[in-house]
Amino acid sequence: MSKVFHLSIIIATLTIIPMVSLAFAAETAGEYLDRKAEIWNLFFRMMTVAFVVGGVIAGTMVWQVWRFRESNPKAKPTPYEEKGEL
Amino acid sequence: MVLELKKARPVWQIMFSTHHTDVGLMYLIFSILAMFIGGAMAIALRVELFAPGAQLIEDSMSFNRLFTTHGTTMIFLFLLPSASAVGNYLVPIMVRYKDMAYPKLNAIAFWMIPPAAVLVWLGMADFGWYANPPYSVISSPAPAAEMWIFGLKVLGVSSILGSINFVVTILKCKHPDLSIGKVPLLAWSFLSSSIIVLAAMPTFAAALLMLLTDRLGATGFFNPAVGGDPIAYQHLFWFTFHPEVYVLVIPAIGMMYEIIPRFSRRPIFSQGSGIFAFVMLSLVAFASWAHHMYATGMTFTEKTVFMIGTLAAVPASAMHVFNFLATMWNGRIKFATPMMWAVGGIALFFAAGAGGVVNSAMPLDFITHDSYWVVGHFHLFVFGTIAFGTIGFIYYLFPYVTGRMYNEKWGVVHFILVFVGACITFFTQHILGLYGMPRRIYDYPEIDSWIQMNALISVGAMIMLVGMGIFLANLIYSSAKGKPANLHDPFGLGGKYYYPYEQRNPHH
Amino acid sequence: MGHSNWPEWIYVAVVVALLCYVGAEAWNIENLVEHVPEDAEVIKVTGQQWFWSFEHEDGTKEIGELHLKKDHAYKFEITSKDVNHNFNIHEYVVLLDAVPGQINTVWFSPNEAGEFDIQCREYCGLIHYNMRALLIVEDV
Repeated sequence: MSKVFHLSIIIATLTIIPMVSLAFAAETAGEYLDRKAEIWNLFFRMMTVAFVVGGVIAGTMVWQVWRFRESNPKAKPTPYEEKGEL
Repeated sequence: MVLELKKARPVWQIMFSTHHTDVGLMYLIFSILAMFIGGAMAIALRVELFAPGAQLIEDSMSFNRLFTTHGTTMIFLFLLPSASAVGNYLVPIMVRYKDMAYPKLNAIAFWMIPPAAVLVWLGMADFGWYANPPYSVISSPAPAAEMWIFGLKVLGVSSILGSINFVVTILKCKHPDLSIGKVPLLAWSFLSSSIIVLAAMPTFAAALLMLLTDRLGATGFFNPAVGGDPIAYQHLFWFTFHPEVYVLVIPAIGMMYEIIPRFSRRPIFSQGSGIFAFVMLSLVAFASWAHHMYATGMTFTEKTVFMIGTLAAVPASAMHVFNFLATMWNGRIKFATPMMWAVGGIALFFAAGAGGVVNSAMPLDFITHDSYWVVGHFHLFVFGTIAFGTIGFIYYLFPYVTGRMYNEKWGVVHFILVFVGACITFFTQHILGLYGMPRRIYDYPEIDSWIQMNALISVGAMIMLVGMGIFLANLIYSSAKGKPANLHDPFGLGGKYYYPYEQRNPHH
Repeated sequence: MGHSNWPEWIYVAVVVALLCYVGAEAWNIENLVEHVPEDAEVIKVTGQQWFWSFEHEDGTKEIGELHLKKDHAYKFEITSKDVNHNFNIHEYVVLLDAVPGQINTVWFSPNEAGEFDIQCREYCGLIHYNMRALLIVEDV
């Protein structure tokens, strides 16, 4: 368990640090910043993240619904069902 | 469980009963009634907005009154009572106690709701469900505003009484053999949401009193003309009503925790992480209220604090989604109507959450604030997630309440229509918001993109209307003429999947 | 009763990492747009039921119309005379509440000439839906 925990902390750190440093590396404001462009660009970056994550989650759900429905030829009774308990 | 229609009792016996299933039944019937009333208002709004110019509603004041009453009805008279209905039915059974801890208090909490509803519906206040001062103090017509304030006051007290009852029932009345960690997640969800209500609601109760005395001219808490601060009201309001979102969503997630393992024929993936995520959500619920107020002229630091508080709620919600998907994994899933609603609800829950994360990024508030994006976003939560879970659970409870089975085919048609309608309506509203259309407007200028999207949104709303009509017909017809349900296994899932639903109302 | 396992921890770690990214990006952009240029010209904006009025630095007043010059920086000082309004030029992503008894500031620099809509985005009563004004950006 602790190995897993350490591993996940390492992975998290490896992803967070570059992201944060990237974000903070941007230069300070020029005189007339194009507010519209900055904000909409941020919006599209956020939407890219949201749609990628959404694609993964929605894809998983659709696949699960298709694969684990009881009418799927591959469906077999779960162990809990056979024991008749929950 | 009550089987009202098999052994009919006089109505007054149910009305004056304090038994938890009787009170639950009254909550259920009232909340379904309120859902249809609030839904009819939504349809009127959508017909009006179908095209620029007046369609159905003659003047903007009627429109303003309608959207205010629509919001108030859906949140306080549909979602809160329907959650209480489910809790009343199942929480005592799940903690193995004979009734709620305080049965009379329970009945009183219910009977406070209809008079409050009458106040709200007859008054038709016009200031939006958030009663934003100074408009609500100096400009909003009487007596509608006062009626709304009194109605909400009563509803707040009712919800506090109900919450005390749930907390005591779960913590003090559970069977001694049942450890708190083994209490089913549905009961856990009521424990968490009730604790949030107890911590959050008094703030709004205070704000309502201050608003009332302001309107009477006795004080000037929120009236800048006499030195008050309107922003203070917004803090008080959102301190209650951001957590209130979690009060609504947590029981809906609890209902999904009941439906999904049953129909997947597997136990919940992790009871532990479900409990952890509930507790997390109830704590961080209080860290994000002012993200509704970025546009009130907050400083950079304040915005940052509340953005972090908002993002902090995401991991817990994501754990719930993981738990659901992992429970379904390797299952043998029967897609009966309740399961469809639960799975559809999870999908929209994710979409709403992702929209919320995007929204919490502070500069994006300049795009989305008080636009149709916000309308689409919170409807994905309150309708797409909470009402989906609730409607699924109404189907799930139906055989136990009536002793009869609903019509499965029409249940599926209902789900498909509403799911498609909800996607069309609420996702288009997001885009419409990006094109800059403000919310709470009676009419809009003839901008091509706005006209097209508004028409599309109204079509989606009509599709939902058809679905809901089928729902109503199914409920009425099936409870009178449906096939008798096999109460040991109404959904044909096999195995021993149930809590002791044989528990009977002593009045039978 | 099941228990959590390592995929769940990795999943939570990924979610937290993404949230950190979102937070850092948002913080960064907010920091950029809040930095007001020193030579920004102040425009006093007043909302009242149900129209907008504007006052330039030189004292010129306008009602329902605002004339600005392209590629100049402007800082709006927004307030209200009666109830809460919200000053919004959607095209330029300018948005801030007009609150009575309080002055809120937001700045922008129009980089395109033309006519743009100004609207109220905070519910303010009867004619909220038509509380509009026109921004005219002139090419100089």
